[in-house]
Amino acid sequence: MSTAYNRENIGSLIDIEALYQYAPCGYVSFFPDGTIIKVNQTLLEWLGEQEEDLLFKKKFSDLISKGGNMHFEMFFRPMINVYGKVKELSYELIGKEGKIFPILLSATTIRDNENRIAAINAALYEITDRKQFEKELVTAKKQADLERRRFAFLADLIPEIIWKADADGRIDYLNERFFQYFNIERRIVHPPRLLLRIHPEERRLFIDQWHNSFNKGTELNVTLRLEGEPGSHKWHLIKGAPHKDEYGKLNKWFGSCFNIDEHVKALQKKDDFISIASHELKTPVTSLKASLQLLDRLKPEIQSKKVISLIDQASRTAGKVTTLISDLLDASQMSNGQLHLNKTDFYIFETIEDSCSLLNEDLHKIVFEGDVSLKTYADQDRISQVITNFVNNAVKYAPKSKNIRILVEQLEKCIKVTVIDNGLGISKEKQRHLFDRYYRVDNSGAQVSGLGLGLYISAEIIKKHNGTIGVDSSPGKGASFWFMLPRLEE
Amino acid sequence: MKSPLKRNNVNVIGHGQKVIVFAHGFGCDQNSWKFIIDAFTDEYKLVLFDYVGSGQSDLSQYDQVRYATLNGYAQDILEVCAELGILGSVFIGHSVSAMIGLLAAKINPALFEKLIFISPSPHYLNEEGYRGGFERRDLEALFEFMDHNYLGWSSALAPAIMGNVDRPELGEFLTSSFCSTDPDIARQFAKVTFFSDNRRDLNDVNVESLTLQCSDDIIAPLEVGDYIHANLKGNQLVVMKATGHCPHISEPEETIAAIKAYLNNN
Repeated sequence: MSTAYNRENIGSLIDIEALYQYAPCGYVSFFPDGTIIKVNQTLLEWLGEQEEDLLFKKKFSDLISKGGNMHFEMFFRPMINVYGKVKELSYELIGKEGKIFPILLSATTIRDNENRIAAINAALYEITDRKQFEKELVTAKKQADLERRRFAFLADLIPEIIWKADADGRIDYLNERFFQYFNIERRIVHPPRLLLRIHPEERRLFIDQWHNSFNKGTELNVTLRLEGEPGSHKWHLIKGAPHKDEYGKLNKWFGSCFNIDEHVKALQKKDDFISIASHELKTPVTSLKASLQLLDRLKPEIQSKKVISLIDQASRTAGKVTTLISDLLDASQMSNGQLHLNKTDFYIFETIEDSCSLLNEDLHKIVFEGDVSLKTYADQDRISQVITNFVNNAVKYAPKSKNIRILVEQLEKCIKVTVIDNGLGISKEKQRHLFDRYYRVDNSGAQVSGLGLGLYISAEIIKKHNGTIGVDSSPGKGASFWFMLPRLEE
Repeated sequence: MKSPLKRNNVNVIGHGQKVIVFAHGFGCDQNSWKFIIDAFTDEYKLVLFDYVGSGQSDLSQYDQVRYATLNGYAQDILEVCAELGILGSVFIGHSVSAMIGLLAAKINPALFEKLIFISPSPHYLNEEGYRGGFERRDLEALFEFMDHNYLGWSSALAPAIMGNVDRPELGEFLTSSFCSTDPDIARQFAKVTFFSDNRRDLNDVNVESLTLQCSDDIIAPLEVGDYIHANLKGNQLVVMKATGHCPHISEPEETIAAIKAYLNNN
């Protein structure tokens, strides 16, 4: 369907003169020397001028600021001559009462028969708002530059390495300390060559962890040796945390790289000492135990009940000392990665029974749930050690919990063993450190003894079996310690 | 040291023996001579160049210390002339280049036989007993204008990038970059230019010279031309009909005629 337009009326609808006079922009025409020859009402209103005061009396340059005038002479005039037009040059107009307003000027030329410029037509657009915005943009840029310099200053002040990377893991900032440590010049960072500065034993680990973190957006945390001076590797802890923008999208990584060499070496010394000390203790304690066993056998010949009870007590204590020493030995071996497994095929239920046989049944009752015919392929002694540890913990930390449940489940790809108590429970914060070396849940509880090695050793044993270990608990609701072992393939 | 010919994008054209060195003004480059050079190529050898930071010069050689005064720019001219073995030539300098040429002539008087200044000024600020045309606050307004006008300025450069189909004769002119200047260097050059004071140097030069003064130039007003004429030995003053600051662009014929008249009659 088409509408019938009356085309004849259009001429009378649009008043070209009014269009010129009251256009939303200012129009001004001037001779090449700047003398104003025509101006529209819009511009006159902006300026607060009368037409007769401008025409042939003032030049365009009289309407703009002095700074603008210089630009006008040095840029506008040559350009209009060369190109015949200019587009969006920025000037400040000065009105009659000194009112200043920014404009964008676009102009074209009218040429005479000899192709010389006869006059220039200019259109002026008021841009107060845009100018304000532009000013704020410049201020914001300055502010951002300042912040960046402050950040760089602060980062350079820190005696450790600080880095930044984009969302894809490309490093885009390194502080001064980095360049000092590796003795390389700024701008010549060559990532593959940097990898060579990582100790060969940790290089693979680092690459894997780095990619893992950046692919998954999870925190990076790697301990490795870095070569600063040639031939001298120092232990460092590299950390990286993802930074998210206001929409929750990962946009940056911030990271540190701290020299923890002294710390690592101190720990190493401590481990060495513990290892030596426990070895040294083991021999005399073994002969002490042998003597006590002999004494134990002599009990029927002894009259004094007092002596017999002392022998029993001494045997029990020697047993505890032996356990503590073997824990220390285990822990120092494990921290050196020297745990060797002796795997066999066995019934998990039997191992659990053995582990619990030493418990005082008057105080605690083991409730076993699960399939007694489940078998697994693992180091039976070590698994027994883990279960004993779980059960002992339950006894120790949940003394009032009469029933200790042990649940054995057959899952799709693994066997899960859970030891459940109704004790005090453990807070989330503490759960994070439970499997760390020397960590004890509550140091203030004086009655709780131990080295804080049991769960660490358990975790190492399970890890060595390619299994997983964990705890589910909340304060006041008891705790469930569990481990999962890969299932024996049929 | 890298070749000054490369650094300053030096171009040598023309068929004559006698050399004219053309030195462009602030905010432009050697393309600004385009409208007048053809009138000289039959009789002269023309040396065209860009100051470091302008046109096709090697920006990497910009040195804040060297170019903190006009002497650094004069040094560029001396090095270019030495490289080309130029002596006894004609120097034509527009705007700030007039004083740069004067400084070069002061250091090596044998370099130029004649100096031609287009819209020159030895000092832009008004002082007691001297009218340069600008108050300090005017110049500060200009620098602020330059600082806050970078969006406006970039669109000013746009036509140079887009080219101009209407006037194909300008093709080469347009594809090369007229007025293309690194904004930071331009700002620095503007400060060096407008705060320079070369009034004393006028007394130290003994080379014949011509001042082409436009009749209405806010950057170099008539009084400034008179001052040079009065203080520089052997200076002729020609006040042109052309207005503005760039007569070689706005009125090339008048400019060519004035230069030729001077060269042929002296």
